[in-house]
Amino acid sequence: MKITVVRNVLEANDRIAQENRQLLNEKGVYVLNLMSSPGAGKTSLLEKTVSALADRFRLAVIEGDIQDTLDADRIAALGVPVVQINTQGACHLDANMTKEALGALDLELIDIIFIENVGNLVCPAEFVVGENIKVMILSTPEGADKPSKYPLMFKESAALIINKVDLLPYVDFDLEMAKKRALALNPELRIFEVSCKTGSGIDDWIRWLTLQVELFQRDAR
Amino acid sequence: MHELSLVESLLRMIEEYAAREKFRRVLRIRLSTGKFSGVVPTALRFAFDLQSQGTVAEGAQIQMEILPAALYCFGCGKEIEVEYFDAICPQCEGSMVILVRGTEELKLMELEVE
Repeated sequence: MKITVVRNVLEANDRIAQENRQLLNEKGVYVLNLMSSPGAGKTSLLEKTVSALADRFRLAVIEGDIQDTLDADRIAALGVPVVQINTQGACHLDANMTKEALGALDLELIDIIFIENVGNLVCPAEFVVGENIKVMILSTPEGADKPSKYPLMFKESAALIINKVDLLPYVDFDLEMAKKRALALNPELRIFEVSCKTGSGIDDWIRWLTLQVELFQRDAR
Repeated sequence: MHELSLVESLLRMIEEYAAREKFRRVLRIRLSTGKFSGVVPTALRFAFDLQSQGTVAEGAQIQMEILPAALYCFGCGKEIEVEYFDAICPQCEGSMVILVRGTEELKLMELEVE
């Protein structure tokens, strides 16, 4: 006997993500899901972003790490609530892990949650967790071929941060090629060229993100 | 590596159908996924063989349909299938292109059961 199904294998995850989104909408909490390879600068970007936005918004961070609490410790040093999800080896965060982490935060007292996903360019792209936007970081030492190798992540992201532009004179990174390839995958993608080390480009990113959150809050009211 | 999570979801879906349709064994599972979806078929099969042990799906044959990837070239005015996406049209070498197919997520299409 044959049974026709035609259903997304991850639909159970999508359903939980939708429940997360609904809860977050009710509480007026904006969520950003931050993804990149290991070492591209997720924690550094979060440090810069949290410092820049802390006066204006009430922030919290969910840290997805395979093992340790090093990243969570760096963020906690900034004085914002941090929930650590230890994925026990899993290569991505899913909607259910995120749901548990949300339960550990007082959503009434938060405007923005940053989710630092596990460092990986493949798996996190497939799992929605209830975020408003996905943002990815590509750092210049990684090479301009990344959009071709990991198309899904570029397609799913609302913004691309090209980090470590201070290293451009020393690495073989074709910036125009990287941007062209990324835009061919996702014509709506907003691209920011930044250096978390020197701080260049961070202002543009902060201005754009602030606007996204303000728009969300206006619609939520 | 997220193939483990995909298989876990897949098996849960199959159990749900087994309870509803009262079948005892799955003979064949037909899946489909885009060429650029990030799913590695060999990893998925390996994960399936491990995780399906002791379930109604144990020993089932997995059939994977890989949907082709294609870009749309504004220069040529048409869709062209590609093996690799480097944002250049393989026919006219123009760079006014966008990816239009190939990232479709993993779907369970059909179960053959007894």
